Amino acid sequence: MLINQDLILLLLPVLILQLILLVIAIIDLIRIEKANGPKWVWALVIIFINIIGPIVYFIFGRRP
Amino acid sequence: MQWYVIFKKEILENWRNMKWIWVPIVFILFAVMDPITTYYLPKIMDAVGGIPEGAVVDIPMPNANEAILMSFNELGLLGVLITVVIAMGVISGEMKSGVYELILSKPVKYTNYVSAKFMSLALIVFLSIFLAVVAGWYYVSLLFGSIDFTKILTSILFFSLYFALIIGIVIMVNTWVQSPGVVAFLSLIIIIALNVLTSIYGHIFTWSPALIGDYIGEYLHSGVLSTEIWYSALMAVIFTFACIQFAILTLKNRALQ
Repeated sequence: MLINQDLILLLLPVLILQLILLVIAIIDLIRIEKANGPKWVWALVIIFINIIGPIVYFIFGRRP
Repeated sequence: MQWYVIFKKEILENWRNMKWIWVPIVFILFAVMDPITTYYLPKIMDAVGGIPEGAVVDIPMPNANEAILMSFNELGLLGVLITVVIAMGVISGEMKSGVYELILSKPVKYTNYVSAKFMSLALIVFLSIFLAVVAGWYYVSLLFGSIDFTKILTSILFFSLYFALIIGIVIMVNTWVQSPGVVAFLSLIIIIALNVLTSIYGHIFTWSPALIGDYIGEYLHSGVLSTEIWYSALMAVIFTFACIQFAILTLKNRALQ
């Protein structure tokens, strides 16, 4: 069976890290005054694109 | 003293724009992905199906050293990319927004300004590499087999020097143009050129810093540090210093004009 307890335990740290990345990106998006583009689009990008979404937001989303 | 003030300001700024959190996490994810997917590839293929009945797909399982090298290779590609991106606006962005003039209207030494910027970036990147490789090592130990931790630590030290050179190059390019995008583009061209030249003339430039990754592979395999890796490391340090000096000189010349 592909999905068993061992696999979940093994991947748990990775999933948690992904979740932290997503959460801090969202917190940052809420905190900054103006994003590089509409905020709701960035929110969708961060939430729905796994790993890459938050990275792209941190690189291109928050221009001073 | 002045250096420390600028350094602290940089650290604080990197804390505010979350670099201290997202860069390490992203590096860890990069380092961990490859060993895990390689380990589970046969099972994934089984589950997804599409393989005709009776066909034997034999994917050779890498040993522990090869698996941790995957992490290093991944960092050598995507990690470098992220490093360039987080460093691209560090001086050019301040020039553009006018913060640069504001800082240098006070009697700030260019040496302090540039080296503090370098150190603050290097600190994030070194920490990220360390955490990433240790995380990669953790998964490799679980899935593939054990590797001596001192070997990993030594490899991290040499690998960090390569990244110091990357930061040096980006900071040097930062002083040339004012657009962060152009900085990233030019830096990547220089880094790619360095790697291409090294892969073509690798037999002559055995001291090229771009070979550090390859030498780490040899070291993990044999457990002996070759003389070439020391030369590569030395050259990486020298090039980094040269880049920083060049950046300082460029800024000084610009001030004179």
